[in-house]
Amino acid sequence: MSVVEVVRFAVRGLIANRLRSLLTMLGIIIGIAAVILLTALGNGASQYIQGQIAGLGANSITIIPRQPPASAGTDGRPLTAADARALADPQGAPDVASVSPVVTLPAPVDAGRASSDATVVASTPTYFAGANVQLGTGRAYTDADVAAGRKVVLLGRTVADDLFGVGSDPLDRDVLVRGVPFRVIGTLAPAGEGQGLSNPDENVLAPLTAVQGSLTGFGDLDRIVVQARSTEAQAAAESEINSILDRRHGVDTPEERDYQVISARQLADVLDQTLSAFTLLLAAIAAISLVVGGIGITNIMLVSVTERTREIGIRKALGAPPSAILGQFLVESIILSLVGGVLGVALGYAGTLVPLGEFQPVVLPPAVVAAVGVSAAIGIFFGAYPARRAARLRPIDALRRE
Amino acid sequence: MTIADVPHVLDVRGLSKVYGTGETAVHALRDVDLTVRRGEYVAVIGQSGSGKSTLLNVLGCLDAPTSGRYLLEGLDVAYLDERQQAVLRNRQIGFVFQAFNLIPRTSALANVELPLVYAGVGRRVRRERALAALELVGLSGRADHRPNQLSGGQQQRVAVARALVTSPALLLADEPTGNLDSASTADVLGLFDRLHAAGRTIVLITHDDEVAARAERVVVVTDGRLTEVGPRRVAAR
Repeated sequence: MSVVEVVRFAVRGLIANRLRSLLTMLGIIIGIAAVILLTALGNGASQYIQGQIAGLGANSITIIPRQPPASAGTDGRPLTAADARALADPQGAPDVASVSPVVTLPAPVDAGRASSDATVVASTPTYFAGANVQLGTGRAYTDADVAAGRKVVLLGRTVADDLFGVGSDPLDRDVLVRGVPFRVIGTLAPAGEGQGLSNPDENVLAPLTAVQGSLTGFGDLDRIVVQARSTEAQAAAESEINSILDRRHGVDTPEERDYQVISARQLADVLDQTLSAFTLLLAAIAAISLVVGGIGITNIMLVSVTERTREIGIRKALGAPPSAILGQFLVESIILSLVGGVLGVALGYAGTLVPLGEFQPVVLPPAVVAAVGVSAAIGIFFGAYPARRAARLRPIDALRRE
Repeated sequence: MTIADVPHVLDVRGLSKVYGTGETAVHALRDVDLTVRRGEYVAVIGQSGSGKSTLLNVLGCLDAPTSGRYLLEGLDVAYLDERQQAVLRNRQIGFVFQAFNLIPRTSALANVELPLVYAGVGRRVRRERALAALELVGLSGRADHRPNQLSGGQQQRVAVARALVTSPALLLADEPTGNLDSASTADVLGLFDRLHAAGRTIVLITHDDEVAARAERVVVVTDGRLTEVGPRRVAAR
């Protein structure tokens, strides 16, 4: 007897009990839809956060000093201008595109009667690209400004709003930074809160030399911002930075380091790992509902076998070999789970078309393939026991059943 | 060729069937011998509980005997595995049951085709042979009817068509008229007479002497033992 006949018998058996077949399928439909939807949710969240991180400056690496552990036996050395120059060496660090030494200090900024609590970020022109700073109005300071130590300043949006009114353009106005007059040459585009190490809207940017000359003196650096040559080169750039600074600071092991390298990539990696775990958790929960659906199939197939014991007996009396009976019931459960799986994928996909808050769930194609594969496997696994029971029925026992 | 040279369709020697063990053992069949020649029409009669149904089940390869030998068309059934027994039932035996045992929600034609499906016969040939079998029982006009759309007599005739469709060596009927009214009984028994006349081998189980009287040979089962009674065609009339 051919496979076509087996499938025909199975389809007839399912159609004979339409409602029951549909309800049994529902378990699988919900299970598969949940898997598709929840993995799509995790994937969508991951893509959303990746996009947000990319906004932090894709190739940006920030180096900050840190207190080495007590076991290192020293208090560590500060980051210096010499460190920054060493990192800019194209021989030692070929994957580094630019190095921006940064000095920061909190400072009140005054303009007439208005005042704002700002953070002065003093660096070189490469800082704009390195830290992904977007210009609002005016111009960035230049190498010439740095070389001449010109006291020029760019105001973060919040600072500009505080001093000159919301949406104002204070170009060529003078402000006092800790009492030292600076000329405003531009404003920064609003960045929004919570990006980077501090709120960039509350920063004012000025040339390093001007700030060191008038406010801080020519001391240590608060951080060094490095831009890698490309996103791909970022990991290589990080290891070059580590080896140069380890050598300069006399550090033997990574644990003893008196500095810390922070990058958007690392942040992305950490978040990605967290999200992967989260997605896996969601998928595991969904998988539980899939198992429940599978047990539903076993249950209904057992009922079906019991109910059709007499029919099985008749078929056996007419010469159906055990394999034909096994095939019929196995194919029934496979059809139940496979059709349920396909409908579940469709339902799950439809569910992902609904945007959730700020991000859109994105269906993972492998999840779809896996879901359909798993549903077929469920049909075989959970249908095997009832089908074997049917095939093993002795014809005489099956026929006696009323 | 004399009648004695015709090979036996059925050859049963020392057949016993015991249900259970020890104190509670029930001897359904005790040392039964029975041979049926090709073309014979044999009726097996007995009270309910006499063991006649057990005998039919063993003859139909639906149940295995506890001891003894059973040759069907010269083949020792004891040496066949489950699959081979299924093939044997499919090719050599046609069953007619008291309760008709048609597959519900399935047309008369599909029911008659079923044994051919398991025999691996192709779709077109299957259809032709099933229609021919329905024609034989006078139901070719009801091919598309479901069992619940047919009368009891018609259902039993469909069952007979299904039993015949594979041209089996043996037709086994278990109380085929037990659930039928007198008109339908006459129909079905008339059909058996025609099949017998056409050379079919029939073993029919009944508790009804009138039904048994239609056979050319009658055996009686009492407490699991078999007694040959001989032809009763005239005696019963």
